[in-house]
Amino acid sequence: MRISYRWLKELVDFDLSPEDLAHRLTMLGLEIESVERPGAGVSGIRIGKIMDIKPHPDADKLVVCQTDVGQGDPLQIVCGAKNMRVGDRVPTAVIGATLPGDFTIARRKMRGIESQGMMCSARELGLGQDHAGLLILPESFPIGEDAVPLLGLDDVILEIEVTPNRGDWAGMIGVAREVAAALGTTLRLPDASLKEAEVLASSIASVTIEDPVLCPRYIGRVLTGVTVGPSPLWMVQRLVHAGQRSISSIVDITNYILLETGHPLHAFDLKKLANNRIIVRAAKHGETIETIDGQPRSLDEMMLVIADAERPVAVAGVMGGLKSEVGDSTSEILLESAVFQPQSVRRTSRALGLQTEASARFQRGADPEMAGFAMERATKLIQEIAGAQVMRGQLDEYPGKKTPVELTLRYRRTGILLGAEVPPATQRDVLSRLHFDVKEASLEACTARVPSWRHDVTMEADLIEEIARLHGFDNIPSRLPMVRKTEAVLAPREAEVRELRRLLAGLGLTEMMNLSFGNPSDLEKSNLGEELRGMVMLQNPLSENHAGMRISLVPGVLAVVSSNLRRGVSDIHAFEVGNVYMNGADNELPIQRLRLCIVLIGSRNEAHWGVEPAKVDFFDAKGFAEALFVSCGIESTLVPEFFAPLQPGHSAKFTCGDSLLGHVGRASEEVLSRFDIDQPVYLVDLDLDMLLSLPRSKRYFTALSVYPPSLRDMAVVVDAAVPAEQVLKIARDAGGSLLTEVNIFDVYSGKQVPEGKKSLALGLTFQATDRTLTDKDTQKTWDRILKNLQDSLQAELR
Amino acid sequence: MIEQLEQVRVDALQEISRADSLKLVEELRVKFLGRKGVLTGLLRSVSQASPEERPVLGKAANELKLQLTASLDQKFDDLQAIEKSRTARNDFFDVTLPGRRPRLGHLHVISQVAEEIVAIFAELGFQVATGPEIETEYYNFDALNTPPDHPARDLHDTFFVRPGVVLRTHTSPVQMRVMEKMQPPVAVVAPGRVYRVDADATHSPMFFQIEGLLVDEGVGFADLKGTLMHFIHRLFGKDVQMRFRPHFFPFTEPSAELDILWTSDKGGGGSQTKWMEILGCGMVHPEVFKHAGYDPERYTGFAFGLGVDRIAMVRHRISSITYLYESDMRFLEQF
Repeated sequence: MRISYRWLKELVDFDLSPEDLAHRLTMLGLEIESVERPGAGVSGIRIGKIMDIKPHPDADKLVVCQTDVGQGDPLQIVCGAKNMRVGDRVPTAVIGATLPGDFTIARRKMRGIESQGMMCSARELGLGQDHAGLLILPESFPIGEDAVPLLGLDDVILEIEVTPNRGDWAGMIGVAREVAAALGTTLRLPDASLKEAEVLASSIASVTIEDPVLCPRYIGRVLTGVTVGPSPLWMVQRLVHAGQRSISSIVDITNYILLETGHPLHAFDLKKLANNRIIVRAAKHGETIETIDGQPRSLDEMMLVIADAERPVAVAGVMGGLKSEVGDSTSEILLESAVFQPQSVRRTSRALGLQTEASARFQRGADPEMAGFAMERATKLIQEIAGAQVMRGQLDEYPGKKTPVELTLRYRRTGILLGAEVPPATQRDVLSRLHFDVKEASLEACTARVPSWRHDVTMEADLIEEIARLHGFDNIPSRLPMVRKTEAVLAPREAEVRELRRLLAGLGLTEMMNLSFGNPSDLEKSNLGEELRGMVMLQNPLSENHAGMRISLVPGVLAVVSSNLRRGVSDIHAFEVGNVYMNGADNELPIQRLRLCIVLIGSRNEAHWGVEPAKVDFFDAKGFAEALFVSCGIESTLVPEFFAPLQPGHSAKFTCGDSLLGHVGRASEEVLSRFDIDQPVYLVDLDLDMLLSLPRSKRYFTALSVYPPSLRDMAVVVDAAVPAEQVLKIARDAGGSLLTEVNIFDVYSGKQVPEGKKSLALGLTFQATDRTLTDKDTQKTWDRILKNLQDSLQAELR
Repeated sequence: MIEQLEQVRVDALQEISRADSLKLVEELRVKFLGRKGVLTGLLRSVSQASPEERPVLGKAANELKLQLTASLDQKFDDLQAIEKSRTARNDFFDVTLPGRRPRLGHLHVISQVAEEIVAIFAELGFQVATGPEIETEYYNFDALNTPPDHPARDLHDTFFVRPGVVLRTHTSPVQMRVMEKMQPPVAVVAPGRVYRVDADATHSPMFFQIEGLLVDEGVGFADLKGTLMHFIHRLFGKDVQMRFRPHFFPFTEPSAELDILWTSDKGGGGSQTKWMEILGCGMVHPEVFKHAGYDPERYTGFAFGLGVDRIAMVRHRISSITYLYESDMRFLEQF
């Protein structure tokens, strides 16, 4: 909401600069988003009248206007706006004028036609964001006058953000009331006195409320002899400051009262209401209405409407109907000031996809008492400006009148909740200034009757908040609490996951964090289309790419590999730790599981003068997983296994007992081509929840031998298809306790070994804890290993 | 004979002194002292001398041998030293060549900042709690005093999975899940991903929040202020200015937002100092306690929620939130 500093001063006394006022309001909870001085640096703007509009000979989107600025011949101005007609009055910047942002108007040619100035939109004058066309002003603006004072460009505008609990702050009076309470000054309500005619309004029109829950109050007034015309200068100025446009006096007055009181009004053309009747009722099945924005709307029984004797004439609290709208020829008006249930307005507004100023206000809860004042103010202005006769009496149906809520405030409770002692007298004083009706009940407590506009105050804590707010958060001391510990450990895995992420980063992998949405087409591209059935879909996704929640980390990782390659990044050593999601049992929340994906592409090492360049391969990926398992104390087994995103034959699974930990392998070429990736990608995809739930192997001390180890090698030739793991296992079993270590230091196939065979070179370490091994000991074990390899695998010593 | 020895001494010493290479020194060693060398020859002829002369000649010849050996060794060492210094100059060891550095991984900037924040609260005695990202509407809204059709729901553009099930719009539902599990005292922080239907330079449909909750007897707004002031000082430094500003949240009463006065880089050497919102906080609403089954007369507490993304962006001058979640390696490796 945009607040005029000058207007606020009319309503309440204060002696604060705009900046100080902004600070004060902010610290009261009325957050000021900006303080604007629209007129800063603006000069040379006159009220102009458009005398002629002709098309530009060389530009479709421009026109050539003749604009009278009250001095000499009309100015020829080339203009790109479309909303003006001959006779309109517009703010016109003449040659030499300056506009916000140090913009000086000079004589210039536009597509060959000389332009002697500029006609301005509201935004071009620094007044809000309206740039949809020129700022058209009513005839009340005299031609040739300086527009700066007329448009109040020398005023200061404060843009405030109104929180949803304070509907009362959505009007000038509400803000002024808050300022008065904070500063201890008085609020000056504008004059609402009016002269009524003899004829009773009730003799002309009637109001009936059929649903008092959805419409607690409806006030109507009948005005006759109305002359719809231009609005006065002062009113247009304030509407423009609020970011609105002047339309006609009657519409402008209802909009103005909305700004002033925060209460939405609606004016019907009485002659267009069948039988001069107003019935507030639920819409009937199949009923429709054309709203004033020209849209036909289908209504249902859940929606509240204002109807005449025959059909709906407005969607209650949301928007009026086109047929009963006030126009230039309207002479009799039925003016509405009502209160509608916030939930009902919210539902209707959502169902129709129609958010209006009025619906926004009603959703925050309107003040039924302010409805009466707003009616009187608007009626008075229509009488003054449009010369209306006001029929006697309000047509006031008020079935929802409530007795004010009375709350008890225990002074001690304020002390506990704030952690600060506030004297009882101060507590009472704050509430009184905020128009609570305070009565002392005892030495310990008082009662406070809640004003009609404070729907948000329903309990003692709300009163204490008011005290804290006006007393000032700055005046509450600060202290570090004694935090008492409990034995409960709520998320033991969090610390483990943190360690694990640090381990991976320490091993040289960079952590990625991708959006946890899932893209069904990426899932299919990754050969994981079967998972689609389990995918959690969103009812209102932002885009197809984010149609659901990811069920695997792999597609997202491949997608970012692809985008990195497009940006010229060709080495990726990265991991992501994050949840994946899948549908659970009916009526249960979807399941979420923590997974880890490691991705490697490109060079193994950073380019270096002393290192042979090499590309990452399967064993780099496997090695990261192994390091992780060792660090976690998990003994895992790896066996070849097909996993859809991976290349057949280059894919394996990690298990631990019966538990599947995940997969490792090279992404399949088919999958990579779908992601436009033209180089090998190695992946590890692990179930972290599973991994962290497994028992960790205990680490016990093994005696350190004081006797020297004996190192021997053995090269054996076996079938190429024999897994190395099998060779190692046989060696270990045969070696017994004397063989303390065995590794493979070379794998060879080629000219030196027969076709279909490979040579494995084993490095064997023999050591005993109780003696120095003799050559004989070592040889005996070495022979047994070789024999077992020969027997089991037909291995040959090379 | 003596003269011959003297002649050899003169010749040999002269030749040794002229020698300019290790090779030549070794040749001279062979020439004079070798098996067929000059001195060796002379020594052999000593046996043919008279018995009286023999000891004299033998002694002189041996002295000459020692002298020449010493002289040759000295020359050899000198030449070798010269050679060494010469090769050292040719074989410059360049310490400035890049080191063979192990590859360094990087934790995501959000992980880093979130860990830092959690650690600050952990030191104060808060423990970590978590909750599901796909939540029921009850935990995300109703239990937090935000019933259906409450206007505050409009502030959260919510992703729906099905009626009653949403992507959590904040980490606040963890409050209720923790309180249902345990009785006070409760002191937790809950980091995690949250979701809102929003996407531009400052909004991501997924972002990262940390929730905090302290419930016990006698917890007041003063404790909230003290705790969060300590936190801000730890995270942004002792000198940072801050303010608690009244605000509205359905699940706290009183509610506040905490702003810090922050100077940001505007680019081109310019800077801008303004109040910047860091977190929302307040005293837990009695209605929330009722949902949790806590007695609001006995217990009071405070809660807060902060956006890790925003703090990370401010601290590291990241210009757009979209960088955080698109995994551009060039971005990730900056932190």
